[in-house]
Amino acid sequence: MATIDASLHRPRATTARAAASAGSTNALRTLVRRRFALNIRTPRELLVPLLTPVLFALIIAPALADQIPTVRGIDYMSFVAIATVGLLLPLNCMLAGIGLFVERDSGARRDLIAAPVRRPLLVLGNLAVALAVSGLQLAVLMGAAVLRGAEFSGTATGIAWFLAASIGLVVVMYGVAETLANRIPSQEEYVGALPAVAIVPWFFAGSLFPIGAMPAALAAFAKVLPLTHALAIMRYGLVDKRGIGLHDIWGMSSPTVMAFLSLAVVAAYAILFTVVAVTVFRRATVR
Amino acid sequence: MEQLAVEVRGLTKTYPGDVQAVRGIDFDVFPGEVFGLLGPNGAGKSTTVGMLTGTVAPTAGTARLAGWDVVAEPLAARRASAVVFQESVVDRPLTGRRNLEIHARLWGVDPATAGVRFGEMVDAFGLGEIIDRPVGSYSGGQRRRLELARALLSDPQVLFLDEPTVGLDPLIRHELLDLIAVLRRRDEMTVVLTTHYLDEAERLCDRVAIIHAGRIVALDTPAALLGTLGSELLEVHVDGDPAAALSVLRAGGVASEDAFSVGGTLTVPLHGSPAHAAVVAVGELGLTTTELTTRRPTLDDIYLRLTGGRLAAA
Repeated sequence: MATIDASLHRPRATTARAAASAGSTNALRTLVRRRFALNIRTPRELLVPLLTPVLFALIIAPALADQIPTVRGIDYMSFVAIATVGLLLPLNCMLAGIGLFVERDSGARRDLIAAPVRRPLLVLGNLAVALAVSGLQLAVLMGAAVLRGAEFSGTATGIAWFLAASIGLVVVMYGVAETLANRIPSQEEYVGALPAVAIVPWFFAGSLFPIGAMPAALAAFAKVLPLTHALAIMRYGLVDKRGIGLHDIWGMSSPTVMAFLSLAVVAAYAILFTVVAVTVFRRATVR
Repeated sequence: MEQLAVEVRGLTKTYPGDVQAVRGIDFDVFPGEVFGLLGPNGAGKSTTVGMLTGTVAPTAGTARLAGWDVVAEPLAARRASAVVFQESVVDRPLTGRRNLEIHARLWGVDPATAGVRFGEMVDAFGLGEIIDRPVGSYSGGQRRRLELARALLSDPQVLFLDEPTVGLDPLIRHELLDLIAVLRRRDEMTVVLTTHYLDEAERLCDRVAIIHAGRIVALDTPAALLGTLGSELLEVHVDGDPAAALSVLRAGGVASEDAFSVGGTLTVPLHGSPAHAAVVAVGELGLTTTELTTRRPTLDDIYLRLTGGRLAAA
């Protein structure tokens, strides 16, 4: 045990009344840095969520494309490359939710809650990191798909649609992850729920085939999934200039209008799940 | 008039299921005071600290920290305080340095001040050799020292120590109590300490509130509380019904109303009466006793008298 210095120099520079406010921006920046430091301590933590989608892009997608050259005139390799994005982003967000259990059970969450910081910032800081990590992984995944032969249209507008849909999907899925992590009592239960939340919708959302190929009831279900809208926008941006996927959802003639409508749906889900996530976090942390 | 460091009025917390954890408590803590909330597990101490630090929403009543209402002005109230929690609350994968830096930034300590205080705290708490190691590699005592240093980094006006020594081995516990005693000597630092260890309360606190079943049943200095039982107690271990034995002692004039029984032990404050006379009187009353001892009163006795339950058994 160290000797304690009882005569500490103690300038009272910080009093509650006189202290400069931490400021939401500074607090958010600190929370984001902290979350980065916790989430990405080794390259492994960045790469593991990429494994399944990259293997899909490199091995399964080309094999499928060999059997199914095109889907409604779209190169299937490129069609499925977008599908891997719809697998990666939900998986990555849900895996990020596991960190919340660690933070709650053996981490510094209570100290953060006692901090003079607006509590939604604690959720938004985590969301910002989920967005950044997803962005990095998205770049790797798309690079792998291009190397394997996928062809994407590289217009600025197309990329903007793709990015907007990707960001929206991450916000939706991170909201779901944060909500579940604060509602489900144990990490084991959360991991058990992960495939149902991150992977099952992927099969209904027009990932591997157009939703019109499914029975009407399933197609109707697919249309309410945010992932369906996000994938349709991503494809419209990069591989599906005619907006066939969007047409399957909306049945309209203008791809741009349909893309905006789908983006509005994704944005509405994003706002909804972010609000729910913040509300659930508040209830879970302040008894 | 000097502003109170903590001002609590009618503070109440009822959890779902009508679980009344805190039932309308009132107390003040003066600047620079070390104030103890003493009581067994489940008495409502941690819930009270939770309400004061914004992690538990009060059902009714008001609480102010350094003049700030904890419900109406939560950010200002939280900025004026810091907490060392009962269990370890640190980011274990991060280094001690990183944990301290994050805390300082979140509490809005300007970087220059944070740098000065960081050095002071690391030196004062003997963290220099471990500060750049992941906290997961720290011993329990090292983690506690880090948490104390972290709490002090923002120079809080009110420091909450919620059962800070629970789960620590006796050596580390004594070292930590020394640390807290150092804090106590520092000007202007108000400390609210919750504990169910009576020796901690006696050693550290200027005043103590004994809390039982969500209510404050006594509030005074340890010396004043001890004084209510006089300077000496007679402890009588009896065979048979202790309540009946206590009635016999009272009827015989050996025990007054503040005598109490727990299990088969009767505790009788002597209030200046000679101990040998009391022992003789007990013998004359015909009680079957297995042991008679005299000793000085402790806070434990105060608590037992007020609540009828032994702290250690809680």
